[in-house]
Amino acid sequence: MQPAIISVNHLHKHFKIYKHHRGALGALCNLFTREATTVRAVDGVSFTIQPGELVGYIGPNGAGKSTTLKMLTGLLTPTGGEIEVNGRVPWKQRRAHVAHIGAVFGQRTTLWWDLPVIESLDLLQYIYKIPPAQFQHNLDEFRTMLELDPFLNTPVRSLSLGQRMRADLCAALLHDPPLLFLDEPTIGLDVVAKERIRQFILHINRARGVTVILTTHDLADVEKLCERVMIIDYGRVLFDGRLESLRDRFGGQRELVVDMAEEYATVDVDGATVAAREATRVTYQFERNALSASDLIGRVSARYRIRDLMVREPNIEDTVRRIYEERLLDEE
Amino acid sequence: MYRRLVGANMRGQMQYRVAFLLDLVGTGIGTAAAFGTLALILQRFENIAGWTLAEIALLYGLVETAFGLMDMIFSGFDPGTFGQQVRRGTFDQMLLRPLGLTLQVFGSDFALRRLARIFQGAAVLGYALIAAGIRWTLLKVLFIPVVLASLVCFFGALFIVGATITFWTVESIEVVNIFTYGGVEMMSYPMEVYHPWLRRFFTFIIPGIFVNYYPALYLLDRPDPLHMPAFAPLLAPVVGGGMLLAALAFWNFGIRYYQSTGT
Repeated sequence: MQPAIISVNHLHKHFKIYKHHRGALGALCNLFTREATTVRAVDGVSFTIQPGELVGYIGPNGAGKSTTLKMLTGLLTPTGGEIEVNGRVPWKQRRAHVAHIGAVFGQRTTLWWDLPVIESLDLLQYIYKIPPAQFQHNLDEFRTMLELDPFLNTPVRSLSLGQRMRADLCAALLHDPPLLFLDEPTIGLDVVAKERIRQFILHINRARGVTVILTTHDLADVEKLCERVMIIDYGRVLFDGRLESLRDRFGGQRELVVDMAEEYATVDVDGATVAAREATRVTYQFERNALSASDLIGRVSARYRIRDLMVREPNIEDTVRRIYEERLLDEE
Repeated sequence: MYRRLVGANMRGQMQYRVAFLLDLVGTGIGTAAAFGTLALILQRFENIAGWTLAEIALLYGLVETAFGLMDMIFSGFDPGTFGQQVRRGTFDQMLLRPLGLTLQVFGSDFALRRLARIFQGAAVLGYALIAAGIRWTLLKVLFIPVVLASLVCFFGALFIVGATITFWTVESIEVVNIFTYGGVEMMSYPMEVYHPWLRRFFTFIIPGIFVNYYPALYLLDRPDPLHMPAFAPLLAPVVGGGMLLAALAFWNFGIRYYQSTGT
């Protein structure tokens, strides 16, 4: 096994929130009183990530996702625990560390606001000391893939959100970092733009072997991109594993949608319940652990004539929602 | 690298040509009016505490020119705009780049619009150097750029301290502004017109007295009414440089604090 590209051990980050007094007198009070409550934003997180992985780091608002990401990128110093990224401690060797990672924080841009995109990219060539040949090669590839050409000479402030995200992705990868951090890369984008970003992320992971860690609220991102998912809440890792095993354990019921050749009076089958019925279309629900899809199809086709059918997996969104809401992982 | 960052910033500024020109003209009129008022008052009273118009113009010209230069070079550290950078998270973007943070903040803004203030200050300074009856020696000629550099460092230190404070709170920016902008106003007048405790403040707490008033006494060969040691005028570079170094140390401490708390 290769050495891990990221290893995180018992990571803690506690914030002190000071009580805030309002008004002019209050501002004076703020200077002298220090009534604080401690918030455990990250509370004992451990994991390792191997080179080449594409990991989704998900959780509700305030779960500790961004705080973890900020510590991994060296923006924040942890209260306790260890992090090693590319063999370096991010907050101790900030400059060496950030030279070997790429990071895109969806809400903010790395680019110079008033300059044309291409000038920002040129500046990054000097900042990261990228050899001209490598710079040109990468720029050519990303330009085509991300379709940057129509707005390369437009100032960043005039770009649409989707264009800006594409430019930022290009900017984050010009120096060939082995590791890419993405915080909400598809936030606020339309369906087409989201899909384009996802295709690009997949490409750089598969073709270039870049390890990618992304946080997202859009579970479609996770479903389409990530083989491994980490769910975090209350500063702890609730689940860390493959997407399928998340489905297997918490996925609940699968659905079989059947178009019958004719309308039958009853459509009951053992081991499945009829969830919906609409003319000749019948939707069965069944437990994945109790019955396989092929067995159910066999049972249905033994009794009725089938014209068409489809197995529907419970979507990840529902699965994760169930985990959040029902605290399915609490007792573990 | 600094040149590239500043160059990028200037090209950005040039995108707003009309705003830039208006700003330039506006500042020019504003600062010229300020000195015009002073000149009018002095015509009435002939002198303030025994200082003639040309002599006060020396104090004023030195401070204005230096403050304008500082405001241009250190504008990345302007507490008002830097505080916004911290709140909006643009400072985090600097932490993500493999460059020194001080260099990046210096390179993040180079306010060309301050040129108006610099020209205006330089014009007043030029008038003072001709009209104040200075008995020139080689040492005095060489001393003038040293004084200007010391003043730039002095005000730059105040900016850096103000910027650093925004890591903790943005509520106190006004307090810092009192020292910087208020300092410019106060240091444009001879120190003997002020109450002793105010003078002590400018001697021991924010030692602006050494970077402007004492150098001016030396250039004008005026006796020292405050009875400081004779080498006091020569302390200008020591005070300016020392304050800048101390401010940078505080700045580095502030960055470590910021990295441990975030926003």
